[in-house]
Order: sequence, then C-alpha cells, then structure tokens
Amino acid sequence: MGEVSKSRRLFLTALGTTIVGIGIGYAIGYLSKPAEIVEKTITSTATKTVTVTPGVTPPPIGLSGAATRALEGVRDLLNRGVITPGTTIKILHVAGSRAQLEKAIELWRQYVPEVNVELITLGQEPDVYTKAMAEAVTKAGTFDIVTIFSTWLGDIVEAGLAKSLDEYYAKYDPEYTGPCAPIEPLGSYVTIYKGKRYSVVLDSDVFTLSYRKDLIENPIYKSEFRAQYGKDLKVPDTWEDLIDMAEFFYNKNLTAPSGGRVYGAYFYAEPAFAAYITWLNIFIEAGGIPFDLETMDPRVDTPEGRYAFDIMLRLKPYMPPEAITAGWADLYDKFIKGETVFTAAWPSLTKEAMRPTSLVKDVAGSALLPGVVVDGKLIRAAPNPVNWVGVVSNYSRYPELSYLFLQFATAPDIGLDVILSGVILDLFRECWFKDPAYRPKSAEGYGEEFIDVYMESLRISFPDILIRGGPEYLSKLTTEVNSVMAGIKDPEVALSDVSAEWDSITRKYGVDTQLEAWRGLAQLFPDDVKDVWRAKGYMK
Amino acid sequence: MPEKPPREIKYLATLPVNILLNAVLIIPFAIMIYLAFLKWSPAMGMNWWEAPIIGLTNFARALGDARFIAALSRTALYTVSVVAIEFFLGLALAYIMLGDFVGKKAAIAITIYPLMLPPVVVATIFYLMFQSYGPVNNLFLKAIMGEEALRIYWFLKPDTAFITLLIADIWQWTPFMFLIMYSALSAVPKRLVEAAEVLGASSFTIFWRVRLPLIKPLIIVALVLRGLEAFKMFDYAFIMTGGGPGTTTETVSMYIYRTAILYTDISYAAAMSLIILAMIIIVVRAFIWYFFERGR
Repeated sequence: MGEVSKSRRLFLTALGTTIVGIGIGYAIGYLSKPAEIVEKTITSTATKTVTVTPGVTPPPIGLSGAATRALEGVRDLLNRGVITPGTTIKILHVAGSRAQLEKAIELWRQYVPEVNVELITLGQEPDVYTKAMAEAVTKAGTFDIVTIFSTWLGDIVEAGLAKSLDEYYAKYDPEYTGPCAPIEPLGSYVTIYKGKRYSVVLDSDVFTLSYRKDLIENPIYKSEFRAQYGKDLKVPDTWEDLIDMAEFFYNKNLTAPSGGRVYGAYFYAEPAFAAYITWLNIFIEAGGIPFDLETMDPRVDTPEGRYAFDIMLRLKPYMPPEAITAGWADLYDKFIKGETVFTAAWPSLTKEAMRPTSLVKDVAGSALLPGVVVDGKLIRAAPNPVNWVGVVSNYSRYPELSYLFLQFATAPDIGLDVILSGVILDLFRECWFKDPAYRPKSAEGYGEEFIDVYMESLRISFPDILIRGGPEYLSKLTTEVNSVMAGIKDPEVALSDVSAEWDSITRKYGVDTQLEAWRGLAQLFPDDVKDVWRAKGYMK
Repeated sequence: MPEKPPREIKYLATLPVNILLNAVLIIPFAIMIYLAFLKWSPAMGMNWWEAPIIGLTNFARALGDARFIAALSRTALYTVSVVAIEFFLGLALAYIMLGDFVGKKAAIAITIYPLMLPPVVVATIFYLMFQSYGPVNNLFLKAIMGEEALRIYWFLKPDTAFITLLIADIWQWTPFMFLIMYSALSAVPKRLVEAAEVLGASSFTIFWRVRLPLIKPLIIVALVLRGLEAFKMFDYAFIMTGGGPGTTTETVSMYIYRTAILYTDISYAAAMSLIILAMIIIVVRAFIWYFFERGR
C-alpha cells in the first residue's frame, strides 16, 4: 500500500510538473509570436457617397472636411469588411498627452462608436522611444499608433517602424494645404523624411521669448537704461540687446514676488537634455549650418558656433546657476515666481504663467526670440525642439484605420478641441490663429498677445536634427554645451569634440544615407535661414 | 531507504525553472555576447541576426573611448570611496551598538531605515537637499558660514557634484554594512572576549586581536557585495546631476545606458558591458584568492 501511495504521488508530481512546464512554454511562445499581418487588396473608389450601415451613426453636417473625410473613410472600411465593428486600435503615448488623447477618443466615439481606441500610457518620454525601438525589433504589433518626438523621426523610419502615409494623405486630404494647413515650414519638417510623409502633426513646440512686462515697461527703468546704455529698454531685437538688458536688471538686485532674487535671463544650458536648444538657436540665426550639404561634414566648429558660445557665456553671469545644473522644469519654476526677466521655452510656459497661482499672471509678455544681424539683416529663427507627431506602425493590423483616427483627431475643428483640453500638445494650424471661427477659442487658451507672437514664431521655426541618430547628435551637443557653460571645457575644444563625435555618428550609419536625409531636411528650414546659407555659400 | 525518483522525473521537475532561466538569463546573455561582435543598431533597419560581424572592433573602440575610460575611472574611484567610508562607519556603529542600552531596538531600526527606501527616492531627496536654497546650505552650512553658504552651488562644479553623490550613497548604504558587521560581531563567542578581559586585554586589543580576525570572512563578503553594488550606481547620478556638469559625474552604468537606450548603439553597449563584466570577475576573483585561498 505504501509502495502504491508513493508511486501515485510520484505520478501526480510528474504530471503536475509537466502541465506547468507546458503552460509556461506555451505562454512564452504565445507572447513572442509576431502579429499576423493581414494583407488585403484595397480598391479605392472616386465617389464620395456615404453608405450608411444600419445601426451606425453617419457623420453629421458641420464637421470640417478633414474630419468628415476621415469618418467617411472609416465607414468605407466597415462597409467593405476591411474592419469589423468592435475593432480596437492601440496608441502608445506619454502620460502628459493622456488628457488630450482621451478628448480625441471621446469625440471619436460620438461618431464611430464601433471602433475602439485604447491608450497604452507610459510615464516618461524616453520610455516611449525605448518601447518604439523595441517594437521595431520585435515587430509584435503591440500598438497601432505611437506618438513620438519629431526628433526621433529619422530613427523610427530607418528602423522600419513608421509606415509611409503618402497614399493616405493623397486619399483622404488632411488639409495640409489651404487656409487651415499646419503653418509652414513646421507642417513639412516634422512630417516629411527623405521626401515622404511618415507622420501626422499633433503639436508644435516652438520657443518664444517670455519676459516680465512690468519691468520692461517701467518708466523709471526705461529712463535709467537709456541713460546707461544709450538705447531703449524694450523687447530685444538681438541677443546683444538682451545681454545688456539682462545685465541691467541683474545689477539692480531686485526682489521677485516670491522673495527670491531677480535674474536677468534664464536660457537652457542644463546637462541632461536642453542645453543644445539655446546654442542651436543662436548658431542657426548667425547663419550656421549643422552639416555640409555636399560632404555631411559637421560645420559646428565655425565662427557661427563660436559666436553662439560667446553669447551664451556673456549671458551666464546674469542667469541663475540652476540654468546649468537643474532640470528643464526649473526654468518654468523661476519664471512663474517672477525670478527671471527674460526666458524662452515651449508654449506650455505661457499657459503656466497664466494660471491663477502664477506670480507673473498679469505681467508675463510674449515676443519673438532675439535674432542676429547677418550682413545688415536681422535674422530671427525659433527652435522647435521635440514636437509630438503621430506615427502609424508598419506592424499595425489596421494601418489605414489608424491613420484615419489621427486625421480625425487633428482636423481643424476636432483638433482644436483636443489641444485645448490638455497641456503638452499645442496649436499648429493657421486657421486656429486667424479664422474668427477658431481664434477666440485659441485666445482663451493662450491669450491674445501670445497667439499672434506664436503664429509668427511658427513661420520662422526650424527643426531639431531629425535625421537618423538625431537624439545622439543632440545629446552629444548638449553635453558639450553644458561643459562649456559649467566652465570645465573651452569652447574651441568643445566644438572640436562635437565635430568629432558627430562625424563618428555619421560614419556609423553611412555618409551617403545621412547626407540624403540631411539634404531633404535642410530644404525645409525657414526661408530667411536658407537665404543666409546661400549667401554664405553653404547652400546652392 | 526512501526510493529515489527516476531521472526523468527530476528533469521534468526542474523543467519550469530551466525554461525560465534560459528565457530570461542564459539565452539573452548569449545573444548579448553575440551582439557585441556585430555592428548593429535598431535604427539600421535590419534584424540583428542579419547584421555584419565586425570582430573585436567594438571592444577596441571602447578601450579607445575617452568618455568610457573616464566613466570607468570615475566609477572605480566612487566605489572605493563609498565602500571604504561605509565599512568604517558601519563597523563603528556596529561596535557602539554591541552592548545593551535603553532603546537599542529603536536605535537599530532607525539606523537601518535608509535601506528601506528606493534609491530613486533617496536621490530625489538629496537632490532637493543640496539645492542652493535647500537645507544643507540654509540650515547646516549657514550656521557655520553665514550667508556665504547660500552661494554654494553643489551641482555646478565637478568636485562638489561628486561629493553629493558620495554623501547620498553613504547615507543609504552604511546601514547595510552596519547590519553585516553587527551580526558578525554579535556572533563572536563571548567566552573568548571574557577570557581576554580576564587576562587584562584593553578594549582596543580585544577588538583588534580577538573580534576582528574572527569576523574577517564576513568583512570580505560585505566588501565584495557592497563593492559590486556600488560599481553599478546609476540612480543617484541620473537624478541628482544628470551626469553633469558635462559628463564629470557620469558613471559607467549611465554611459552604457545612454549608449544602449538613447543612442540605440546596442552592439557597442554590449561590448562595454562585457568589458566591465570581465574586469569585475578578475578583480573579485583576485580579491577572494588573496583573502581566502592564498597560502593554502
């Protein structure tokens, strides 16, 4: 009996172990299986007849053309059986955009309740990049859409993750031309890579100058400044003017509303991410070109590069030390507390300054960033660092449906409601600034003064280095800029090091392919900048 | 005599853990070794198994990479510094707490409290503490230096930024050393200590000639364990200094992270990781040989 009991126990143990082992093996196999790619030949028709499927709500009258066409496209997919009711698409995004994407989904559900949209929310921006690049390797079809920084566009496209959207742009017309188009050149440089559209604009991140109006417009300070510097105290036209004004206010040793000291300026020079923004802005305005258009050699170790460092180092004494050591959000904190006279950041700074808790709520002014005089002409340019865009995954089961959601969510009418429902996505269509149907809403969200300034900033905006390796190019630049600003590296040495590092990155990916991408991107810079490049012989 | 299970049963019984180990440890490690010999990044648009093999190029690149060498040297200096300080502090605390006194349990609990916090939380706390307006300047240093203390910007200079990292680490991990040393000292047989006392030995002599030699094996274990952990330091540098100013507080873990995750230069990161692994194996092996196996 004992023997039988032991045998039974052994048998049951072995059986249980086998079942568990098979279960684990199956689970691992299932999770690692790539998504099936459903291929169907889709024949598009030229007619615009809306076929109503029984029980499905047709798009109501009054929606913008882009939104209507998106919804009609979904109807068409449903009618032809390409998608079925209950289909779900997934969006990978960062937590900061959750409110706005939820608004888009809420509006989408009103018209297309049969198609579900789920959010895969990640905490930090680098997490989105990591997840996207992992998807490029695994090709698992984990998500249909991913919202990325435009800076990553080159990497995402070259990794094979981003689907080309040219055919969808042509088929559904997202209104990228006409009075409601995304303001150029932004609409082009954040969506086009090597001549093709790979993304949909979700946002704009162009920098503007924010300043304390109460100090700049103070008649006593105006008088003192004129006496001391021989020129008017006003919103600065050039960086040289801004340095003088920063020096003036710094030496006044004023006390901010927070009780802290008032600094003349705060421009990014911090080590983790943003130091490149300030340097690149001045460099571009001075007529600098990051890479040679014939050879792809870095062109940062040039008079323009040295000038950019010269300006930043002359600003340094009037900036808080945290500009060199703290994270990017510290700039916001200091300005909101009234501890900075001049600063520059994303549109969200203006929104923060307008909050009831802001100590500069009624005195925060907005203006274009100062420029550089090149051959007698004032050249202004505004950096557009990061900038969220929507990308359709090449491994999505429903690429066309995914694109249609993006077109719907960014349509002139729907898109404005989406943007105004949150913080991190900002205005980009021209009609949102000018059209009486939209402008009051925009002004309510940002302020009248800001939206006029911002519209002009968009027109003079320039992109991050959006080619493959963009994050690495900019990270290396940030490190060197921060080293110079911290006083631990000479500008000449830093520029030489940046050149060497950039050259190494270029050669890693291949000069020819990088040159092709850079030539395409350079054409999308603002006209004033390109004119200077031509005048200097950098561009033909 | 209990019946031994058949071999097949043993294999089946260990199958789940074998599958798990292979899936999450052995196979990925083998792939990582292979990647180190490739020229591959996800941004190259090819599968890793299609990438060209470039032999030892990545390793040669790492050994010639000034930033990698600097990060390595810096991390080694950091490790030696924190381990040494934490050891002596932990040993001293353990010795002080050996005897019985009122509130001993509460004192031990308070001493080991920092160990319970996640390193990210500790890093954030010390980041705020070392701000120019933070309590280190506003309370501690202001009492000594006056208003001048408010103009100390800890994260602006490489030396002071490095010191902040040391202090954060020492605050959190001294209790680890304390726990090991306290356990070790408590385990020393009382009869040996009493015998030494009877023979007229001083407290110092008892400590140096009786306790310390007996706890030597545990000291070695503590130093090795703590050294391995300190060498991997990432959280404090990432949160408190971002590796700055410049890259002057960038640890080797941070650099490998940036290379792998931000620059997606996976192959190069794999090569650097293997170099670090080899170095650590050699150092730890030499350490153990010297203290345990030499002279046998």
